[in-house]
Amino acid sequence: MRTRHPFTLLTLAAALPTLAWLLPAPAGALGTAAVAFGLAAAAGVRRVLVPAVVTAAPFWLFLFVLHDLPTTLAIGLRITTMVAGFVWLAAVLAPDRLVEAMVARGWSVTVAYVFAATLSAVPLFRARARRIVEAQRCRGLSPRGSVAKRLRALRALALPLLLSALHEVDERALALETRGLRSGARRTPLAPPPDPALERAARWALLLVCIAALVGRLV
Amino acid sequence: MALSPALQLDAAGFSYGAVAALSAVSFAVAPGERVALLGRNGAGKSTLVRLVTGLLHPDEGTVRVGDWDTCDYAPEDLARRVGSVFQHADQQLFARTVREDVSFGPRALGYGEREVARRASDALEALALTAHAAQHPYDLPPALRTLAALAGALALEPAVLVLDEPTVGLDRALRAQVAGALHEHVARGAALLVVTHDLGFAAETLDRGIVLDRGHLAYDEPLATLLASAERLKPLGLVPPAVAALSVALELPGLPVREREAAHTLARVAGAQPRP
Repeated sequence: MRTRHPFTLLTLAAALPTLAWLLPAPAGALGTAAVAFGLAAAAGVRRVLVPAVVTAAPFWLFLFVLHDLPTTLAIGLRITTMVAGFVWLAAVLAPDRLVEAMVARGWSVTVAYVFAATLSAVPLFRARARRIVEAQRCRGLSPRGSVAKRLRALRALALPLLLSALHEVDERALALETRGLRSGARRTPLAPPPDPALERAARWALLLVCIAALVGRLV
Repeated sequence: MALSPALQLDAAGFSYGAVAALSAVSFAVAPGERVALLGRNGAGKSTLVRLVTGLLHPDEGTVRVGDWDTCDYAPEDLARRVGSVFQHADQQLFARTVREDVSFGPRALGYGEREVARRASDALEALALTAHAAQHPYDLPPALRTLAALAGALALEPAVLVLDEPTVGLDRALRAQVAGALHEHVARGAALLVVTHDLGFAAETLDRGIVLDRGHLAYDEPLATLLASAERLKPLGLVPPAVAALSVALELPGLPVREREAAHTLARVAGAQPRP
C-alpha cells in the first residue's frame, strides 16, 4: 500500500468513514470496519492493527455504558472505522511523498507542508512521549498508585512533551524560513509519485460510491 | 578484601523479537570505577543502559545493582540506586525553575524538604549551575539544559550513574565541567558507566573500556590500553583520540592518552619542564 499514490490512500481513508456513516447500520459499518481492520492488518499486526484496536476500545466502553446494544454496535463500528482508517493512514502515508504529490498538482508548498507535518507528528510524538515517560520513571516518578497520584504524575509527563514540542515548533519554523518556505516561488517537484490511470479511476469510483450512498440515504 | 560490585551483569542477553541485541554479556563494575561503554551504532549499548535502569529486563542471565536483581524492581524503584541521563535528556525538563527540576528526583523518592534542598544545591554547584537555578529550563541554551538534566541525576546521589552520550553539544569548558562533576561523584564511591562516541572525553575522564560489538562483549580492559590499539578499534568503528595516536606514533613511555600526562611525558622526553 505504501507505493500507492498518496491521493489514493487519502481517498480510501476518507471514503471508509464516510461510507460507515452513510450506509445502513450495522451491516454497512461492519463492512467498512472489516475493510479498515483488513488494511491495518496488512500494514502490520503489531504496528498498526493492535494500536487501532487499543485506540478504539475506550469508545466501545463508553458506548456500552451509555446506550443499548443496537446503538452501541451502530456507533461503535462507525467510530472504529474512523479510528482504524486514521491509524492505517498515519502508518502507510509517507509525508514526503504527499508533499511531492501536492506540489506536483500545483498546491502551495506551505499548505502541503502543514498537512504532511500534522500526519508525521503522530509517530514522532508517540516516540517522544515514550522517551519522556522512561526518563521520568528513571528519576523516581511512579505512574502507579491512586488517581490523585497518577494525575500529579501526568504533569511531569505532559508538560515536557508540550514544552519540548512548542520549542521544536519554534526551531522548525526558523529552519523552514531559512529554507525559503514562504518565498512564494513555485517549487519544482523532484520525484512526484507515479499516479497510474487505474488508481485515478479507483479514486473516482470511490467518490461516486460515496455520492451514491449519500443519495441513497437521502431518498 | 575486594569490594562487592555496584553493578554486575551475568550472561545477560536481550532480544527485540527475533533480533538479538545483547548476547551473554558479563562484567562487573566496582564502586569508584569509571567505565566507558563503547561500540558502533547498533552494538547494543543503549539496550544495555535500558537493562541497567530496569526499563528492560534481560531475556537470559541477570543484571544486578548491588544486591538487587533488576528483574524484581521497576525503574522508579531502581532510581534509588541508579541515576541515568539518556540522549535528548533536555526534553525531560518540565519544572518552572532549574532548581525545582533538579529537586524532582529526590522529592519523587520521598526525601524530606531539607534533604531535597541540600541535594539540589550540591548538584547545581557541582555543575556550576547555581547562577541559573532560578531560570526556567527552556530559557537556557540546549547545552545548559543537558547539564540541568545531569544535575537531576546527580541529585539522586545514585550508587550507579549511567550516562548515554553526556557530552553531545557541549563545548570544551562544559565538558570539563561535566568531567569534574563526575570525578567528584565517583570519589564518593559511586560507579560510573558512560556510553560515548567522544573518545577524547572518555580518555580524559574514564579508566576502563568495555566494547560491545553486535551485542557481544568484544573487549574489557583499561581504557588507556584499548585507546593505544588503533588496529583493534578500527574494525569496531572507533578512532583513538589524537593524544593516544600521538603517544603511539612517538612511542612515548607508558603510552599516555590524557593530555596532561602526555604533555608531562613529552616534556620529560625532551628534557624540558612542563608548564603547570
